[in-house]
Amino acid sequence: MSANSVATARLSAGHERVLPSRRRALPLVGGIIIAALFSLLMILNLLPLVWGMLTSLKAEPDLFRFPPVIFDFAPTLDNYKRVIESGFLGNMQASLIYCVITVVSALALALPAAYAFDRFNFPFRQPLFLLIVASIPLSLGAAALLIPNYLYFTKLGLTNAWFTLPLIYTAHQLPMAIWIIKGTLEGIPKELDEAAIADGASHFGILRHIILPLSRPALGAAGVLVFVGSWNEFVASSVMVDSPALRPIQPAIYNFIGFFGREWGPLTASAMLAIIPILITFALLGRLIVSGLTKGSVKG
Amino acid sequence: MKPSFKASIAAGLLSLSVASIPFPALAQKATVRMWTFLNPAGTTPREVTLAKIVSDFQAANPDIEIVTETHAFDQLTPKFLAAHGAGKAPDIIWAATDFLGDAIGAGSLADLNDLFIKKWTPEQIADRKGPYWDLTNRNGKQYALFTSRNYISILYRPDFFKEAGLDPATIKTWDDFVKAAKALTVTDTSGQIVRYGFAQGYSEHQADPLLMIPMVLASGEGIFKKDGRANFASPAGVAAMKFQTDLIKEHKVSPPQAATWTVDDVYEQFASGRAAMILGASVRVSTLQSKLGDDKVGMMLWPGSGDVKHAPAVMAGWAVGVWSGSKVKAQAGKFVEYMLGPDGDKLWVTSGGQSPGLQSTLNGLGDFTKQPGKAYLNVASEGSANYGWLAPIDFSAGGYRQALNKAGQRILVNGEDVKTSLERAEAEFNRQHKR
Amino acid sequence: MHPKYTGIQYIIPAFALLTLVLFSPVFYGVWFSLFHIQYGAATTFAGVQNYQDLLADPTLPGTLQRSIIFTGAAVSITIVLSLALAVWIHKLGERRGFLVQMVVIVPWIISTVVATLLFRWVFVNDIGLAGSIVKMMGLDEIHLLNSPHSAMALLIAVSVWKRIGYAVIILLAGLKGIPDDYEEAARIDGATPWQIFRRITFPLLKTPLLLVAIVLTLSNLNTVETPLVLTGGGPGDATRILPMDVFDRAFITYDLGSATALALAMFFGNVLLVLAYVRLAKWKT
Repeated sequence: MSANSVATARLSAGHERVLPSRRRALPLVGGIIIAALFSLLMILNLLPLVWGMLTSLKAEPDLFRFPPVIFDFAPTLDNYKRVIESGFLGNMQASLIYCVITVVSALALALPAAYAFDRFNFPFRQPLFLLIVASIPLSLGAAALLIPNYLYFTKLGLTNAWFTLPLIYTAHQLPMAIWIIKGTLEGIPKELDEAAIADGASHFGILRHIILPLSRPALGAAGVLVFVGSWNEFVASSVMVDSPALRPIQPAIYNFIGFFGREWGPLTASAMLAIIPILITFALLGRLIVSGLTKGSVKG
Repeated sequence: MKPSFKASIAAGLLSLSVASIPFPALAQKATVRMWTFLNPAGTTPREVTLAKIVSDFQAANPDIEIVTETHAFDQLTPKFLAAHGAGKAPDIIWAATDFLGDAIGAGSLADLNDLFIKKWTPEQIADRKGPYWDLTNRNGKQYALFTSRNYISILYRPDFFKEAGLDPATIKTWDDFVKAAKALTVTDTSGQIVRYGFAQGYSEHQADPLLMIPMVLASGEGIFKKDGRANFASPAGVAAMKFQTDLIKEHKVSPPQAATWTVDDVYEQFASGRAAMILGASVRVSTLQSKLGDDKVGMMLWPGSGDVKHAPAVMAGWAVGVWSGSKVKAQAGKFVEYMLGPDGDKLWVTSGGQSPGLQSTLNGLGDFTKQPGKAYLNVASEGSANYGWLAPIDFSAGGYRQALNKAGQRILVNGEDVKTSLERAEAEFNRQHKR
Repeated sequence: MHPKYTGIQYIIPAFALLTLVLFSPVFYGVWFSLFHIQYGAATTFAGVQNYQDLLADPTLPGTLQRSIIFTGAAVSITIVLSLALAVWIHKLGERRGFLVQMVVIVPWIISTVVATLLFRWVFVNDIGLAGSIVKMMGLDEIHLLNSPHSAMALLIAVSVWKRIGYAVIILLAGLKGIPDDYEEAARIDGATPWQIFRRITFPLLKTPLLLVAIVLTLSNLNTVETPLVLTGGGPGDATRILPMDVFDRAFITYDLGSATALALAMFFGNVLLVLAYVRLAKWKT
């Protein structure tokens, strides 16, 4: 709460680089509170990550010394070697392929749908859109229906194929993507469409030549969210495919929490490898995702 | 590492199209799919052993290809049952003891007599006889053979015993056990306990069978009635639950925070030297030895109760069967026979660190078990032959460990009365199973 | 084609996929739940028997109550904190803001199982980092998981920690979309910072807040991994919430009939919640 009020107090400082006089006016107490809260945030968020990283570099005998060793150990890449030897790069490759297919197909399906919901009036438009929003629980809570889902997909012959997981991931991520993109389209003036129609453009032409270029930031932002969601998906990933060649990373990481005990070394090593692509994505596209969501999500 | 990582990403994108092309089916070769929780590409001793067994078998049988499909161990058997219901199960399945009754009841497992056991000599069968064999033998049919045999009793630190001037062989009764636990508990100058005599975890997540179960069984009482209803709150049950919770509350030789410890927490505490004895499984010994050293992990049988020399330990494990709907039953059977036969069994023991499944393997090992740290194999073998108990599979016992653990948590954390807590656990178990 | 239907062709592909992958399994699940299930397969028609068994379960009201407390607390705390963080990051300026943003999202981008395991090991376990520091300082060990209330508080805290990154990203995007001149004009009119936040910023954040509220509610309400890894539902039943109950029915006692019935009941509850949110926010599509 205090961070909230302090932060909003600074709101008055505005966007243009905080004025020195304003900064001095900021109560010292507020500054201390902010610093304390930020330190707490750093500790809570980064310590497990740093600890995971250190653990991934430890040899078996160093893992469970008591009190725990922090830096006083001989770092080794053995855990990474083990993880890679057990086929983890293959799992990463599979995940990467799945996620790329998912991002492309989710966006390819979401953009026209968002276009239709925003620009056209057709029977049941409103209820159909609510259905999209209401299906978000199916993507987030699908774990609860695991066994009927497995039976359903198996009976249709849709399990254990290269398209199985992209198909499921795409459906999981689609409702959110449609919602985000539709928000952006609301911000694109309808006059542009009308002018194009007057020039003889088709609806598809408008989608292709006006809407698509203008909604690129939103597509990028939605794409990043779709990527992260699919990359970290665990339940469908572990149940819907069997073949080792089709196995994505999350079940492969989980394999190190095995029947014979959790193996912290390889477990943290594989988890560290798994977050690299996401960190890279965010480092490169982090600004884009925020600015891309911007236009979309504000209009209410 | 980095360049190969980048290269593999590039390769991954390139192979996008290749991935969609199915492998050409070879006319002569039979493909046998096997579901297990081991990853044959992995590097742990058991995984390496499985890979070796598969490659040896394939070399000897070029017409059979074994495809191993790795699953999370906790999903493996339920998923197999669902796949059986959908008519698309794998040819070979590793089934957890908890679900064995369901798997047999569902008719998902083929009779191995028809596949290969009928060709065995009486000596071969005798070589394998024992409680695990009997468990999977129903109405004259043999539904599965065990591969991973788990004997759950006491793991201890020989170095801490030596430090305290104790000999594990002198722990003969439960009183001896408490005395030893007290002697092994170490307190620092500020009065904090730095090492506990004994630890076991009460979490419902990954629940191992707690000490009270062997204690009840040793008294001649069961923890189930004949009709499958729970029998937790018998006088023996109440006494045993009181004994194990008193280790924490009265004797202070066991950590109170263990009320929420999982099995893995307990092993990690043991590895950190925070407990001298733990409730532990034979299958975990080799992993612990690789952390601590071969001479720092020992295994012993439970103490006895006067009438019984050693209380029966709970046994569990993984049984391998052939799917009743398989189109390549003969080939699948051939592999199961090899994997669990004399050659396979020997490999599982010497390179996989498992307990032997055949008497002849144990006899043939000779000096192997005399090597440092290998004595636990003898303990587990002796225990499984004479002092073991397997949960019944004629009715589903799923959740009994969790129910007892939860009762323990309520006693430890909420201070609930022992008998009341066990009665609640009984009622809950019976209701869950509609009994 | 009648112009009235032009729009429909653009939604057909999306709906075809959703029908195949998301909607049909629900119908299949409902059908499945109307049968007696033995050994994982549907046997004889049971009508609403599985649902009746569920209602007869005396532990269910408690589990439902804990789920509501857990979800309510986790969602409201996450929203308040993420809003504060987003406003703060927004005011920090490009570079520093981006840095904080990267720190904030870390728990969100690690998979739930691994993140929860690491959190438990580092901060909760008595042989972990925090526990060892406490001990080295000569303080008494703290066993947060050993009391029903602190275990629930910890479960809420870990859920907030895990999911706040997502909320911050979405809200930050919302903040960046508010044109600067709105605030500027208000300030010139003499509005206090709090008034500006109340009257301008907050109303304009309605849609991102709605999105965040929906996603947080549903992901907390349906999380199996967090309680399973952190507490195993204990001590006693203190942190047993609905999805864990489904999990135990399906994978521990293997009672698929009631597991599916409960999962479906939860699903329809989820849908009603979403619709309630949309209605409450008076949100127009």
